[in-house]
Amino acid sequence: MHFTRLPVPPPYPPTRRQPARAGLAMGPAVGTCLPGGALPLGVLHEIEPEGGAEVQHGAAVAGFAARLLARLPAGRPWLWVAGREDLYAPGLVACGLDPGRLVLACARDDAAVLAAMEAGLRGGAFAAVVGEAGRLTRLGARRLQIACLRHGSTGLLLHRWPYGRATGAEEEAPAAVTRWRIGPVAGSVTAGAGGFGPPRWRLELLHARGGVPGEWIVEAGERDAPDLVRVVAELADVAPAAQRRGVG
Amino acid sequence: MWLPNWPMLRLQRSGAVSADQPAATVVTERGQRRLACVCPVASEAGLRVGQALAEARALCPELDVHEATPEEDAAALARLAEWATRFTPLAAANPPEGLWLDIAGCAHLHGAEDGAGEETLCATIARRLGEAGFPPRLAVADASGAAWALARHAGRRLHVLPPGNERAALEDLPIGLLRLDDRAVAALRRVGIRTIGALARLPRAEVAARFGALPALRLEQAGLSQAGGIAEEPIAWPMPARPWEEIRHFAEPIAAPEDLARALALLADALAQRLEEQSLGARRFVARFLRVDGITPAIGIATARPVRAAGYILKLLTGKLETVDPGFGVEAVALEAQALGSLSASQAALDGKPDATADLAATLDTLIARLGEDALWRPVAQGSHVPERAVGRAGPLAGVAWPAELPDRPLRLFTPPEPIEATAPVPDDPPLFFRWRGRVHRIRAATGPERIAAEWWRRSPDPTRPAHDFIRDYYRVEDQQGGRFWVFRVGLGGVPRWFVHGVFG
Repeated sequence: MHFTRLPVPPPYPPTRRQPARAGLAMGPAVGTCLPGGALPLGVLHEIEPEGGAEVQHGAAVAGFAARLLARLPAGRPWLWVAGREDLYAPGLVACGLDPGRLVLACARDDAAVLAAMEAGLRGGAFAAVVGEAGRLTRLGARRLQIACLRHGSTGLLLHRWPYGRATGAEEEAPAAVTRWRIGPVAGSVTAGAGGFGPPRWRLELLHARGGVPGEWIVEAGERDAPDLVRVVAELADVAPAAQRRGVG
Repeated sequence: MWLPNWPMLRLQRSGAVSADQPAATVVTERGQRRLACVCPVASEAGLRVGQALAEARALCPELDVHEATPEEDAAALARLAEWATRFTPLAAANPPEGLWLDIAGCAHLHGAEDGAGEETLCATIARRLGEAGFPPRLAVADASGAAWALARHAGRRLHVLPPGNERAALEDLPIGLLRLDDRAVAALRRVGIRTIGALARLPRAEVAARFGALPALRLEQAGLSQAGGIAEEPIAWPMPARPWEEIRHFAEPIAAPEDLARALALLADALAQRLEEQSLGARRFVARFLRVDGITPAIGIATARPVRAAGYILKLLTGKLETVDPGFGVEAVALEAQALGSLSASQAALDGKPDATADLAATLDTLIARLGEDALWRPVAQGSHVPERAVGRAGPLAGVAWPAELPDRPLRLFTPPEPIEATAPVPDDPPLFFRWRGRVHRIRAATGPERIAAEWWRRSPDPTRPAHDFIRDYYRVEDQQGGRFWVFRVGLGGVPRWFVHGVFG
């Protein structure tokens, strides 16, 4: 019997160690849960709403993302792709973002949003690309993540379900570097001062590659503050997270 | 439409020939100078077309002789056809002395009641042309051949033939009005057929066997088909010029996607070269695929700034090529550049750094190709207090300046505002709670009101709606869960109605 010698597969290319990337300061408390003490840039992050009406309009998620964009290194513009055209540019000014550097795009559906995000990331012409979509498959996240790494743009995927969260669409194993959950929290009104303070959120770090999960009550940092958020009170670890997820 | 003596009248109008002096144009035919066209004064003097010039000179010594210029006549006729497009979109020159006008569906635009439109339209055309010095002879018929013959038949200046009357109208017309060549006319005359009616009564197969296919075709085009029906006249209607289009015709229809892509590459190269010669670029490219079954699928791309690099255009177009259904094959592919803009040759930076704007434009073009031309924009601040009108749109490459400080505005704005059920203790107070999308929001803090009135100069007053319907009192409220909303009330003094206009982030 004659056996043909099978070709020996080439060895896997040596894993390239990613160079240390710049990070975005999140304050000392949140930073301890993140790799390198700061939010890594040039990678993909996912942000999802906590529950309630926030799932439909995604305002807190957008506010968090807008303040994050405003703290990225200046120069290149940002791209914001969404299925609905309800992002209001004058509201971005309060988040410290210059709307003149923002390119808005409207896509037909979730798949088109993700495809446009990938196209935007691939050029490397944008400092960050934000996309609003309901569902992200592991493969899609992986593609976005690779596009981020190749071209050095930061990707932000904001989960949003304009008609309510789809049932049965449980999340797959995460492919993004971090995954955040955010929802508004009452309590930052300065009574009698005739105005509202910065928005207050419950911020939950669900997953961080090279980091550990955590949960905080935070306030958005002031416009010229270096940190993205300021921790108001740290929630006890024993807080039943699963119960809170059921809200809404 | 027949314009008798067109070459002569054209010369008269151009001032080269005086109207009250006998004049004629001549051609050289087999070494002999013969008259090609004579003016009315000359024909009264006994001159006629085809006469030898020497004979004509003998009859009429003061004859003003001009060389015939058929090309110029045809060009002038084409210009006249262009002028006639004001009456119908389909107007074509029919050299040497006529125009085709397809007035199907146009007549009613000129006549008040049904049926009179065609006469009114023709009278208008005749009057306008008569004033210009070209009295025309017009005939309207269902069959093009019938219209041609009736226009040239001595008789009325305007002849509108009702549908189905071709046979009676053409019965006694001479055979020469059937647009046959001279030999066929002579042959038919020789066997005693002098009228169209006589020819139409002969068996069609025998006519075709004896005199060729042309007489039978002309009869059918004149509406005298024995089987009924009218043969279509192949008229080359002039199409709007597409100066920046490249087209390739293929000997055999092509269908494979690779072939289509190769054809596009050829066209893009040719177009890019032409654009480069003129230092031009284009912001829109449309590729049309002319299929054998007459359907023309098209794909188009748009770019953020003028481009002309063939490879670049091709890359964007190829992404859309899969949407083209070649059907039974594509006979020709055309690529047109639209929205031209100047684009001078530029040199890359000497330090070898990539051009950031070029990178951005390239990325934007990919996105435009994917999402559509209107799907990308930059927000522009506009001087309006009305929230819906405070933001405009500019192109994705536009430089836009925003003020650093603005009044507090929500991050999401709903258009239109969504109605809510709200309860306020005092009409001027913010609500205590409101119900929106099936959820009750209890208000724990509020600021306001901020009064925004509609811009009265933008709308015409609507007497059915009270003025205070256009005044909104905005409140910024926070509910128990911490959600911050922008709600407003209209209906000052009357029954208040509440809306939520946005959400703060």
